[in-house]
Amino acid sequence: MAIPLRYNLRSLVVRWRSTIATALGIALVVAVFVMVMSLARGLNATYISTGDPRNLLVLRKGSTAESSSQITRDEVRQIRYLAGIARNAAGEPIASPEIQVLVQMDRIDRTGTAHVLVRGLGPVGIELRPQVQIREGRMFRQGLNECIVSQRIAHRFVNCRIGDRFPGGKAEWTVVGIFDAAKTAYESEIWVDADEARAAFNRSFYGSILLRPVTDAASVTALTNRIESNRDLSVRVLSETEYYKEQTNTGAPIQFLGSFLAIVMSIGAVFSAMNTMYASVGARIREIGTLRVLGYKRRDIYASFLIESVLLALLGGALGCAFSLPMNGIATGTLSWNTFTEVAFEFRITGELIAKGMVFALVMGVLGGLLPARLAARKPVLDALRSI
Amino acid sequence: MTIPGFILRNALRNKRRLSLTVLSVALSLFLFTTMQTALHELTQPPTSEDAALRLVVRNKVSLGNVLPSKYRPRLERMPGVSHVMKLTWFGGIYKDKANFFPQFAVDADQLSPVFSEAEIDPKQINDFINEKNACDVGIKTMQRFGWKIGDRITLQGTIWPCNPELIIRGVYRKGIDMTNLFFHHEYFDELMGNQGLVGMYWICAENAGVIPDLVKRIDSTFANSESETKTETERAFQLGFISMFGNIKVLIGSISTVIVFTMILVTASTMSMAIRERSREIAILKAIGFDGWQIFGLILAESFGLAAAGGLIGCFGADILYRHLDIYSLSHGVLLKLDVTPSILAAGLTVAVLLGIISCLVPSYMSIQTSVVDGLKELD
Repeated sequence: MAIPLRYNLRSLVVRWRSTIATALGIALVVAVFVMVMSLARGLNATYISTGDPRNLLVLRKGSTAESSSQITRDEVRQIRYLAGIARNAAGEPIASPEIQVLVQMDRIDRTGTAHVLVRGLGPVGIELRPQVQIREGRMFRQGLNECIVSQRIAHRFVNCRIGDRFPGGKAEWTVVGIFDAAKTAYESEIWVDADEARAAFNRSFYGSILLRPVTDAASVTALTNRIESNRDLSVRVLSETEYYKEQTNTGAPIQFLGSFLAIVMSIGAVFSAMNTMYASVGARIREIGTLRVLGYKRRDIYASFLIESVLLALLGGALGCAFSLPMNGIATGTLSWNTFTEVAFEFRITGELIAKGMVFALVMGVLGGLLPARLAARKPVLDALRSI
Repeated sequence: MTIPGFILRNALRNKRRLSLTVLSVALSLFLFTTMQTALHELTQPPTSEDAALRLVVRNKVSLGNVLPSKYRPRLERMPGVSHVMKLTWFGGIYKDKANFFPQFAVDADQLSPVFSEAEIDPKQINDFINEKNACDVGIKTMQRFGWKIGDRITLQGTIWPCNPELIIRGVYRKGIDMTNLFFHHEYFDELMGNQGLVGMYWICAENAGVIPDLVKRIDSTFANSESETKTETERAFQLGFISMFGNIKVLIGSISTVIVFTMILVTASTMSMAIRERSREIAILKAIGFDGWQIFGLILAESFGLAAAGGLIGCFGADILYRHLDIYSLSHGVLLKLDVTPSILAAGLTVAVLLGIISCLVPSYMSIQTSVVDGLKELD
């Protein structure tokens, strides 16, 4: 028969000072782990939620990001009217030649500058991204050097409120609208008209073409082959979702930091849990003896102490997850090495991450409890009873 | 028995607890030192006397925009300028995307005068200058791929639609970022069909005094031209670059705070355990005439010693470890090295000392407050 769980709970309550200190130690380790990982998670989620699996993206061969790709006007002409591209209500092909330019802007908190991606696109490009919704103001109009900025950019950079103007290339851009992009990568962008952007930034090239093939798998493959096998075109075609998936390596250093911290800090936390459990065993030698006399087996004692250590760690884990929860949804940003621009994202604490944090706490509890529990189980009954 | 002997005996009586506590303090200070060093490496670019004379001229719009190569003669003619070098970020792939290292197209003959602190064999400089598709590579990148002089490598352009085929002619071993690869801007221009574009100009000023005027002169010369410029010192340029990563300082600062706080918790809890165990002894000490301050002194000395031992192991352990580790490949190229500076060591040890003091305050207060009779009544 196992020793009742209540015995462990009471023992934790009686030693409340060391229980709290140890649980808090484990809590902080779990909180740091969950928070750093939620950064990486938020960054990845931003990219993964962007892109429509039905769309194809055309980039220059060898290019890894839209902002460093070049598509000539001639290439645009050839690709745009290929068979297999869907047409919109007006009968135009749904193919959007776009240009991406980096513009350096000052941060609102005056901590420096960053590069923001300015995307030049036309009505078809806007049609292809229904997740982008104007929240304040209106859409830009052609011929006036107007732009719309995402909510997150408006919060993070100066001169990005409605009515503000900022210089970019040979033009001054007026902000006329603020958009919400449903937490996708477009939340890190400023949108302007494609032709105006090419004129202002002196570009004869486009950066990419986003297009929508007619919807059946065979024609998608046929269209891809038709574009990629054409020797006049130095381009590659990939699905839009695939492109954004490639960008997720931006989070790798953060993930590394998270794992490194978690490993080193958890060793410290295991040591502290061991200390607490050893002290707890040391103070209860007579109780252990009594339990043995009552007929509990060595393995019952072993299990009981291990369970106590795990309970302690799980308490810490739960506290740690609770500490990290307020970070959920807080916006931040970092540099993407692929596009060389600021990518705005938010801490994202998912259920899975919480579960990982709890498993992590559980492992710390088991590791911290193994040796003290063994010590407790091995105490000879008579010695245990005799000790004061 | 002497007082120090008494303290030592007390500290050593539970060796298991002592070592666990010292080790957990050591680990925390190891982490603290690591975080502070990483922060230092990321936010304080190395400076040298030569670097102080260098200016970076780039397109005002952003680093992603280029400048015309025809600006060069105009820059060279400006008073106070001793050298002008074109420098274009190539950003190519060597075999696989994961093999990232920085690559630049530069004016071959200007590389040594501009980056005068880069240590390289003078004969290798000449070999590099005299061969159109030669390249100079930093020792770290040479070691990483096991390259030797004379090897041929091909870079696949991601930003620029060309694939330079290069021969390694020089290795520089010290002074500047030892992961860089430099190749001829002329060769790059040729591959790109002489489009007349340059990423940046790196300029050497004759002396520090001319820099403020030079910065103004360059930017005003090209104001209202097709490509306006932004000129800044190398240091300002690097700091600006770092600020693009976002607020690293806040992230690392808050993590360090959490680590220190966790440490205090762990040590304080251990100290209270150690002292609760001996409440009877403390009561006896009081009964034989030790006063509160003396008892506080005994406890403080023990806790201080414990924290200091952990601090020494953690801080110097980090220092020794990072001298022998290849940080560059471990951190996926984010960090070049981790140099634990004396000031970081000092900060770490200060934290350890404060930790020793703070963590014994509550337990000593409690034991001093307990009356002799209550203390003697305690069983464990």
